[in-house]
Amino acid sequence: MTTHFISAEVHLHDTAEELHSAIEIELQKHGEPLRWAVTDVDVDRQKAVVEGYVLLESALEPSQAIA
Amino acid sequence: MNRRPLTVVLIVPTGVGASIGGFAGDALPVARAIAQVSDTLITHPNVLNGAQLYWPIPNALYVEGYGLDKFAQGCWGLQPVHQNRIGLILDGGIEPDLQLRHLQAVDAARATLGLNITDYVLTDVPLNVELRMSESGASWGTIAHPDSLLRAAEKLITQAKVEAIAVVARFPDDAGSIALANYRHGKGVDPLAGAEAAISHLIVKTFKIPCAHAPALLPLPLDPHLSPRSAAEEIGYTFLPCVLAGLSKAPQFVTLGTQERDTDKNRKHTQLPITADRVDAVVIPATACGGSAILSLSGRSAVQIIAVADNKTQMQVPPEKLGIKALQVNSYLEAIGVLVALRTGITPVALGADISPLRCLSDSTKQISNLKS
Repeated sequence: MTTHFISAEVHLHDTAEELHSAIEIELQKHGEPLRWAVTDVDVDRQKAVVEGYVLLESALEPSQAIA
Repeated sequence: MNRRPLTVVLIVPTGVGASIGGFAGDALPVARAIAQVSDTLITHPNVLNGAQLYWPIPNALYVEGYGLDKFAQGCWGLQPVHQNRIGLILDGGIEPDLQLRHLQAVDAARATLGLNITDYVLTDVPLNVELRMSESGASWGTIAHPDSLLRAAEKLITQAKVEAIAVVARFPDDAGSIALANYRHGKGVDPLAGAEAAISHLIVKTFKIPCAHAPALLPLPLDPHLSPRSAAEEIGYTFLPCVLAGLSKAPQFVTLGTQERDTDKNRKHTQLPITADRVDAVVIPATACGGSAILSLSGRSAVQIIAVADNKTQMQVPPEKLGIKALQVNSYLEAIGVLVALRTGITPVALGADISPLRCLSDSTKQISNLKS
């Protein structure tokens, strides 16, 4: 089991709740989300930059996620 | 008088360089002031922990960040307690003398504060915490052996029946670093905070039990230019007393699956847990609105989000960029005024000089103007 830092981009949604779900789904591709936050927003590209930790059961290195 | 109690959530995200609350428990005065105008204040260790310093606030709930996120999502409730039985996890990588300092801090909390701390466990391997900074400027870090941390927590829960867990991990001494020098001078980002959050989040997520963390570090050389905001961390050998005091009365988490909730209610509690639908207002730094709890609570129309501009952070996420409706204020003093207005049933707009015209959503304006002509 290991903890890993993930940086990802997630498309902005109509509501903050929908964005919350989209972020969790994106992070779950890389492990179990432990802690995350939107750290920047590119309004022109309609993208939220997300940084967070995920928990991995195996010790495999995750890729840096850009979604 | 029967009125709805005012429940306020105060968030100062950890490890993002908040100018108020980004150092050694320096948002505690804000929490004390907000608690005075609230019936219940829900906040988190980064706000309330000042190493050797803390302040018991009778109506404040000390909720670890992962638990706060789950609470805001509506998944977990908060069950207030009289006292928790606390267990301590010490990182096996802590030197014997430093271990002893922490055990003596625990003894002091037992004898002088009357806290119920019964057992401790040394992790079976060193946790090996490493610290990093992200591109955004937030601090983060990794734990090489999270499984060892979880084994220690499980032992405390199953063998000692503890109800809350304090963790002390050995953090790297980084005495010569620029980041640490800045932090001690009241600038920049707390280089330890992000990794601390990962440790407590892991235990809370796994065991649904209150948890908080204190780093074990060697004492730093005396610095005559130490910032008052960082000074609470340099008046003793450990950062543990605030954690123990906070955990001793931290609310228990109640999973809000219906069956579990009913079983839990019947078995242990005579009082319903506090749930997210009780929240009336959230106070947050204006540039840090991208956390899980804010995104969740912003979906509740009854929640007034108050974004404080004075509390600068490294984040670039004001509420409007995420479509979050928030009342922007300059300072915590102003935020407290807004809370007083909400509690009294006065719309905050009525306290300003300009009151906008009444909006008309139907054809009535036309009819009224016709009447006038």
